[in-house]
Amino acid sequence: MLTLISTIIIMKKIKYSLLKAIDITGLTFLAPVVRLCYGEEPQVQFKKIGQWIIVPLIAVFIALFVIYDGFIVDTFKTKSGKLPTSSKIYSSYKSIDQLHDDEIAKEKAYNLSGEERVEELKVVEEKITSAEKSLEEASKAVEDQTLVSKAETAKDVAPIQAEYDELKESVKAASAARDVEMKLLAESITPGDEAAAQKLLGLVRADDAQDTLDKEKRNLTKEKINLILTKKSPALQKRKAEETYFSERLAFLKTYKTLLSTQNKSLIIDEKKEKIATYEKELASLSGADALKKAKSIVNQESVISKKEESEYAGSKTIWYQVKRSVLCVFTGFFLGSFLAIPIGIFCGLNKTFMAMMTPFIAIFKPVSPIVWLPIILILVMGAFPNPDKHPFMEFLGELPLLGVYKINPAFIASAITVALCSLWATMANTALGVASIDKDHMNVARVLKLGFFARLTKIIIPSSLPLIFAGLRISLGVGWMVLIAAELLSSSEGIGKFVFDEFNNGSSDSLAKMVVVVFIVGIIGLILDRIMVIFQRLVSFEGAPATI
Amino acid sequence: MSFLELKDVDVSFGPPSNRVDILKDINLSVEENEFVAIIGFSGSGKSTLMNLLSGLQLPSNGSSSFKGKAIKEPGPELGIMFQNYSLLPWLSVGDNVKLAIDRVFPKLSKTEVHEKMLHYVKMVKLDHAVDKKPHELSGGMRQRASLSRTLSLDPEVLLLDEPLSALDALTRSELQDQILNIWESDKRTVVMITNDVDEAVLMADRIVPLTMGPGATLSKEFVVNMPRPRNRHTLNDEPEFMRLKSEITAFMLGLNKESKEMKSDIKVAMPDVQPRDFSLPIAAPRFSHLQSKHISPNAN
Repeated sequence: MLTLISTIIIMKKIKYSLLKAIDITGLTFLAPVVRLCYGEEPQVQFKKIGQWIIVPLIAVFIALFVIYDGFIVDTFKTKSGKLPTSSKIYSSYKSIDQLHDDEIAKEKAYNLSGEERVEELKVVEEKITSAEKSLEEASKAVEDQTLVSKAETAKDVAPIQAEYDELKESVKAASAARDVEMKLLAESITPGDEAAAQKLLGLVRADDAQDTLDKEKRNLTKEKINLILTKKSPALQKRKAEETYFSERLAFLKTYKTLLSTQNKSLIIDEKKEKIATYEKELASLSGADALKKAKSIVNQESVISKKEESEYAGSKTIWYQVKRSVLCVFTGFFLGSFLAIPIGIFCGLNKTFMAMMTPFIAIFKPVSPIVWLPIILILVMGAFPNPDKHPFMEFLGELPLLGVYKINPAFIASAITVALCSLWATMANTALGVASIDKDHMNVARVLKLGFFARLTKIIIPSSLPLIFAGLRISLGVGWMVLIAAELLSSSEGIGKFVFDEFNNGSSDSLAKMVVVVFIVGIIGLILDRIMVIFQRLVSFEGAPATI
Repeated sequence: MSFLELKDVDVSFGPPSNRVDILKDINLSVEENEFVAIIGFSGSGKSTLMNLLSGLQLPSNGSSSFKGKAIKEPGPELGIMFQNYSLLPWLSVGDNVKLAIDRVFPKLSKTEVHEKMLHYVKMVKLDHAVDKKPHELSGGMRQRASLSRTLSLDPEVLLLDEPLSALDALTRSELQDQILNIWESDKRTVVMITNDVDEAVLMADRIVPLTMGPGATLSKEFVVNMPRPRNRHTLNDEPEFMRLKSEITAFMLGLNKESKEMKSDIKVAMPDVQPRDFSLPIAAPRFSHLQSKHISPNAN
């Protein structure tokens, strides 16, 4: 009995903390689900679930599968064919994700050594044989399907072709008959007979018109045939996609194998070591210039080994790596901007003269587009780091424990500064507003307590304006995230923007689908960033706090 | 020279061309450990008077002095308790009080500050709500938290600006007793603003009425010669209490009437509206609240 009561109490506590968490994160559509789980007014909850979960899902479904797949895909054409359907977009996502897994596997293979490497090599060889087999099967299926499709197409084309031939024949015959008629008339004309000449002219005109008409008719039928011929059979395309998939897998497995064997780090080092050992043996038996040469090549080999030991697998950058680098870049810029914006905003709010002093700068720089900032900043940053690989600051950044892998370079710094410059205005304006609109009573409290400037700042001004500051930070982060993608695209700083640009330049058949995938990735990350800021904003808010939006 | 003094003080607002006098010719002197109540109608400039005493506002003319020195800026020795609580909403009750203690006793250690805070919070019987934020409290509790913060400043003068105006009758009497208890156990100078005659007579040594604004001034004072502690339950039977109450009430009402007469020469043109039909509509809507506002010309 007692345990039952205590469980009920705990369950209730969980319920309220769940609801509170939902409220703080602003994910209010989850609240009716929680309430329903606790059996609270099921009818009301069902209604709310219908309204806030099912209706949006239906809307997404209709937009994606009915409007987009049904109409838009068929209406618009691009250079590389139709727009990607939703299933194609999803498979593009899969392939992007697969690429990421492959790169990780490759890196692992490159660093594998000893017994493990041998084992893995065996596994891979088995996989390669089976993959070759699958590829062969797939290719055969494609061939078969090609034949079938060709036969089908021929069957479809045959009646129209017959119609076309018939048309051609009849037109030819009619044209010949007209020619004969015209010739006869021309021969029968006596010079000076105007009426007869006019009649001939009329006949020739009619013949020309008839020819054009016939030609059009013929072309129309020809087009029909071409349409059937160019139509891609869905079955064949499916087989071809399978074939491509298997050939891609096989290509990956083969690279994987080379990374385990000929290009493997430990293997190469071992080889060099062996070489050194033989050289050393040879050195013992040499003298004079030959000995010096040998000794030099030993030292040379040794330096190669030490370089190889430090080296890392240099694969292509995958989407998740780029996403992480973009998020790092946006936060770098965001913090940089906030460190400037909050103090300036506070002084603007405190002092009207300072505000007046800052107004021209704010008014002029605020509307400047990131596209203008970026090249200027890129030039400045490149000027500051003329030789970035050797610069001590860059080397320091490269050796940082968690950030080292992201290879911070001038392009990254320029992107971050652009983000900072474009995003700091919202924070600055909101901070100034928050500080300027502090409750007069609270300032009176500060006066009665005779708080000094610093105590006033930390005890009254900042806590009181925090809700508005965080509202500004939230807007800034949103702006920064939008700006960043453009900045990365322009500066080709490794990140989501670069991924989009690479795909744009790549122009392969699935580039467009991959870019659409990026749309969703960017959107979802932006949403998460916004939610994080909302949580912070709610945590620093107090009852009766001033708020925007 | 008295303890706290206002001498020929004027307070006016606005640009020179359109200056409005809020207070005029204010003369007030408060002795040490005296409990003075200032009573007046709303809008007569009571809060401005309080700001003058606390140093939050400086007089346009005349002088304000505390212990013989001119009041130039607010400080903890003139502990004002604001009318609208003025608790910092992002701090708990305890932290609000601690903020004050930290300023006045900067040398105390953390535990000492905490103990002192508990002492003052207990004084107003709010120790169960130390960790609550102001918005989680009722109006009366907020008022008490504000009082506790003011007391924690250990002020030489306690300036209470309508401390009980926002409270219901029950909470009000409870808090009145608390203030009186605190004052009686730990004597200090108190200036309290109120609009309640009963409250003023119950609590104060001296009651000074403030005339109607604009250009409000202090008028003749009433001295309350009743023994302390005063018992609110038997107070109604005391002839002195009844006499003072009726005298002050009559005086205040007289003030009100006087001010209305002063205004009565301003005639507002009323529209000549006559009802066409006196019979009630079927579902008669009630317009009583509108009538009291718009139709009677002399209301307020």
